[in-house]
Amino acid sequence: MRSRFSSIFGMQQFGLIIIIVALGIVMSVFAGSHVDRVSGHMVNNFLNPSTLIQIATDTSFFAIMAVGMTMVIISAGIDLSVGSIYAMSAVLMSLVLQKMTGAPAVEQVLVGILLSCGIGLFSGLLNGIMVCRLGVHPFIITLGTMWVFRGVAFVTTKAMSILVPESLTHFAKANLGLRRDLFPVPMVIMLIVTVVGALFLRYTTWGRRIFAVGGNIEAAKYSGLNINRILTSVYLIAGLCASIAAFVGTSFYGSSSSGDAQGYELYVIASAVVGGASLNGGKGSATGAMLGALLIVMIRQAIRTLNLDQNYEWIIIGFAIVISVVLDRWNSTRAQRRLVHGRQ
Amino acid sequence: MSILSVRHIGKRFPGVQALNDVSIDIEAGTCHALMGENGAGKSTLGKILAGLYQPDEGEIVLDGKTVHFHGPLDAVSAGVSMVHQELLFAENLTVAENLCLGDLPRKGMWLDRNEMIRRAQQWLTSIGAAIDPMQVLGELPISKQQLVQIAGGIGRGARVLIFDEPTSSLSQAEALKLLDLIRELKAKGVTCIYVSHRLEEIFAICDRISVLRDGKLVSTVETKGLSRDELVRMMIGRELAESLEAHSATQLGEELLRVENLTSPGKFQPVSFSLRAGEILGLAGLVGAGRTEITEAIFGLDLESTGEIYLKGLKTVVKGPIQAMGFGLGLVPEDRKHHGLVLSMTAKENVSLPILNRVAKLGWVEPQKERSIAQKFFDKMRVKAPTIDSGTAGLSGGNQQKLVIAKWLAAESDVLLVDEPTRGVDVGAKAEIHNLIRGLAAEGKAVLLVSSDLPELLSLATRVIVMREGNMVGELPANPGEESVMRLMAGVR
Repeated sequence: MRSRFSSIFGMQQFGLIIIIVALGIVMSVFAGSHVDRVSGHMVNNFLNPSTLIQIATDTSFFAIMAVGMTMVIISAGIDLSVGSIYAMSAVLMSLVLQKMTGAPAVEQVLVGILLSCGIGLFSGLLNGIMVCRLGVHPFIITLGTMWVFRGVAFVTTKAMSILVPESLTHFAKANLGLRRDLFPVPMVIMLIVTVVGALFLRYTTWGRRIFAVGGNIEAAKYSGLNINRILTSVYLIAGLCASIAAFVGTSFYGSSSSGDAQGYELYVIASAVVGGASLNGGKGSATGAMLGALLIVMIRQAIRTLNLDQNYEWIIIGFAIVISVVLDRWNSTRAQRRLVHGRQ
Repeated sequence: MSILSVRHIGKRFPGVQALNDVSIDIEAGTCHALMGENGAGKSTLGKILAGLYQPDEGEIVLDGKTVHFHGPLDAVSAGVSMVHQELLFAENLTVAENLCLGDLPRKGMWLDRNEMIRRAQQWLTSIGAAIDPMQVLGELPISKQQLVQIAGGIGRGARVLIFDEPTSSLSQAEALKLLDLIRELKAKGVTCIYVSHRLEEIFAICDRISVLRDGKLVSTVETKGLSRDELVRMMIGRELAESLEAHSATQLGEELLRVENLTSPGKFQPVSFSLRAGEILGLAGLVGAGRTEITEAIFGLDLESTGEIYLKGLKTVVKGPIQAMGFGLGLVPEDRKHHGLVLSMTAKENVSLPILNRVAKLGWVEPQKERSIAQKFFDKMRVKAPTIDSGTAGLSGGNQQKLVIAKWLAAESDVLLVDEPTRGVDVGAKAEIHNLIRGLAAEGKAVLLVSSDLPELLSLATRVIVMREGNMVGELPANPGEESVMRLMAGVR
């Protein structure tokens, strides 16, 4: 009993979950209520299905990308280009799909997914190879590709917004048996990506190698690990995650433009770090990254729900990120200490 | 008259009680040794005295007054300085800048460079160190960086100097010079606290010895009249399991490794040797003779090296550690913190790192399998950590070294390149490591052993190659005698 108790408290994300739950309670209490359009019942302004799924949807785009980002950060790297990969995948996919009007819906969706993911993987590969071969810090490499990829999106679309076929929107806005105004697909994809990412990091040899390279690249080399392949793979994964987010986001909103996901990289990095990833490498988790994204979106939501002045959004988020990281570190050292005393 | 005392000091770290109710009085103007095995708590106590750690319990008394050091600056201004085991310096700055870092001289709002250099020069001269204050610190050899640190301590008015394993990365000649300097400082009235486990040095310079074991004070004794055996018994609490006996001739098997004309420009001249199963080939030489470089070249870490390497009779090209592992080579590197372990990972994860594919199915780690293999070698090496899931950053040097060896044992290497396996390792663990290396040879593995500890090298090796300044200068049979090896190493006829 004691061991189960302490393992829950010792969990890396425990502090984060507490903060998220606390914020949810505060919002439920202070949100007030309104009459639901569909059901006609009085519902809480925060604690109702459509707001909750809306939050999950907003979270999903950040979270999917943050799962990839957390792996880059665990390897002691950084990827600033994920927002641009999102935009490039989105517009190139949309441009091709535009030429496919009239094709069967399944075909359009499949082509969309494959195309988007292909572009994401290619961009990631490019980042990875340059990081390994050029010996320049990934911050600089991906700062460069951030502008290059964004530029490609801008040039190919001539700065125009591009609609995607309705089949994609039907896919992304499927109800999956829920009420007709609820769209859980992005949330489901986010959960799948998070679970796959968490299992990958925790239980595969490759995940373990990423932690080793990020923790001590020299020792990893002396242990016979293929450093270049491991480093390339994390940028590949980050690119893939960005393009999955791009496919879901573009399908959900029905159009894409070269300005999509501008500035997302910073939200995504913040999510990973709030979720426990250390910029020194060797530490981080996929579930943490998702929870980090959720926290940031919930703070934004809280500002709206609680009728705070929206002009202060950035200031509040900025402080919240720093505070939550500090609290998380504090909690994890405490958990570590508890572990020690428990054993003695 | 004691200048510095600790009373009932206790300190806890995650996983260990590093110090427990330790009380020691240090007499003014003496050299006082803190001894003990790795993990005994001697370095921790040194760091508490220098203000780097704060004790959980107990008090520090300086000149009869209780003091609280909240950081190293407090200690320095009270006259207590430390010469660190790992040098803590800004390596990109000059010697003068480093020396004056805490208190840069100014002229108005500008840095007074001339005054800075003058002060640094004065401090360096005061301890007889011939070092140019304008040289970038990182370009100096470790021995000189250490002198800079001592100069800094004395210059800031240190009355107590703490030396933490000061000779661990020095050559023999450098170490002797350092001991001379400590004697001089003592003569000038500076109290020295000498943290080490090297018996020779302790007996050479220390007046009194405090022995720690498992975080507790065993006793404080006068050096005069103390025998080595007594001291060793106090340190390990039992008789030594091993004596440095001659190696018994074991049956030699097939040739596992042959190196022909292996050379690396600027590092070492062509060397050729072969290594058979059951053999321990010792590489003797002074620091800088090219021994570590040879092991790295064999392991594929030196891309500049040329020459032929045969493994089990087959000519192979080792392009990197990945291939080397595939050919059954394992390298226990000299620098375990940077090259041996990933300190952010657990003991188990470190041991299984090179063999992940063997404990996994289709890329998924099989926890039971990983655990049982890691546990087996963790136990075999008698690593002192709570469990195999413990972190590695907090382990003592000896235990970290044991883990690195466990890692390569788990990898089932046929040929082990072992570089300074007992550097910074205490007497007890040293004996265990020696027995283990002998055991490995007896099991039919081949060992290439690099060690600066000559008695160790000679007692283990079945054959010795001597290197001097990158040249192979001799090959000797088992038990060649310390003197003949020493002569070859130093180039004395």
